[in-house]
Amino acid sequence: MQINRPSQLRARARQGMQAILPLLPGIVPFGLIAGVTPITLGYSWLDSLLGSLLMFAGASQLAAYQLLGEGASLWVIMLTVAAVNLRYLLYSASVAPDLAGASRSARWLAGYGLTDQIYAVAKRDYPAHQWDVGERLAYYAGGSVTIWLLWQICTLAGAIVGQIIPVFWSLEFMIPLTFLALALGTLSSRAHQVAAMVGAGVSYLGIDLPFNLGLMAGAACGIAAGLLTQRWRP
Amino acid sequence: MSAEFLTVVALGGLVTWVLKTAFIESNQYLRLPAWFSHALEFVPPAVLCALVVPGIFKGDVGLVRELGAVAVDPRIPAALAAISVFVLSRRTILTLVVGMVVLYGAYWLQV
Repeated sequence: MQINRPSQLRARARQGMQAILPLLPGIVPFGLIAGVTPITLGYSWLDSLLGSLLMFAGASQLAAYQLLGEGASLWVIMLTVAAVNLRYLLYSASVAPDLAGASRSARWLAGYGLTDQIYAVAKRDYPAHQWDVGERLAYYAGGSVTIWLLWQICTLAGAIVGQIIPVFWSLEFMIPLTFLALALGTLSSRAHQVAAMVGAGVSYLGIDLPFNLGLMAGAACGIAAGLLTQRWRP
Repeated sequence: MSAEFLTVVALGGLVTWVLKTAFIESNQYLRLPAWFSHALEFVPPAVLCALVVPGIFKGDVGLVRELGAVAVDPRIPAALAAISVFVLSRRTILTLVVGMVVLYGAYWLQV
């Protein structure tokens, strides 16, 4: 049977889009916050959009913006961005066999487009189908481009709203509130709770240290405390 | 455009892209050690909580900068309310809304 390749790939791209649709509403508020916060720190809508275009990773964008507002050094900001995004190393390793054989430019673009959402749906749907790498890429692209477009649109919308809303509305406070909700959502075990409390406690004790050392020490001690708790009191 | 901002997001973008692409690019000759995956589990609670603290206790919120200080920093009751709402409802957007409303309310009650 003759298969029409372009229409086959279009079908896969559409499947990727459809798989991602239910996850889109959760992205909107974060995109708006990522768009509005650079404005509350005194930067322009173009800065805000460039942030979302260049980084395209929500939580780490918010972390970078908050630290920029606190006057943190570039090193501290990069270390924090890396820590917040460390999970992508795992996703990257896990999705690599599925994208093996794709061209270098396709793999590099797939890396840029990697998100929690596309990772989740791709790892759910790839094993259920006998797709070749071209079809898997088309599915991945359909989902990723959809998320990417929505993220940029929400960023712009947030930036525009931010320019209208006065400073005393304190929208920058949505960054720690967002982190609070994200952190509380990860407390699935005693070890995770210990990691969170030690992270927050050490960060508080070191809050006036230079170079955001309190933040760095809090992160390191929290991770260590979680590992130790898991080992001795699982 | 701000050169400072652009430097941060350009380098931040590079760091992010390297992390996202590292294994897609080099799957054949790189392997993640087991301890790494274990430690990774605790990165989100530890790092996010360490980040929340200066957001609540450091500097001043826009409200205070523009309209003047009050006795109790409104961020503290706002954060406590947000924690309660998330623990009870597990709804992120509701948490954000209540947190902001309590921030305004706690400030307004004190002026």
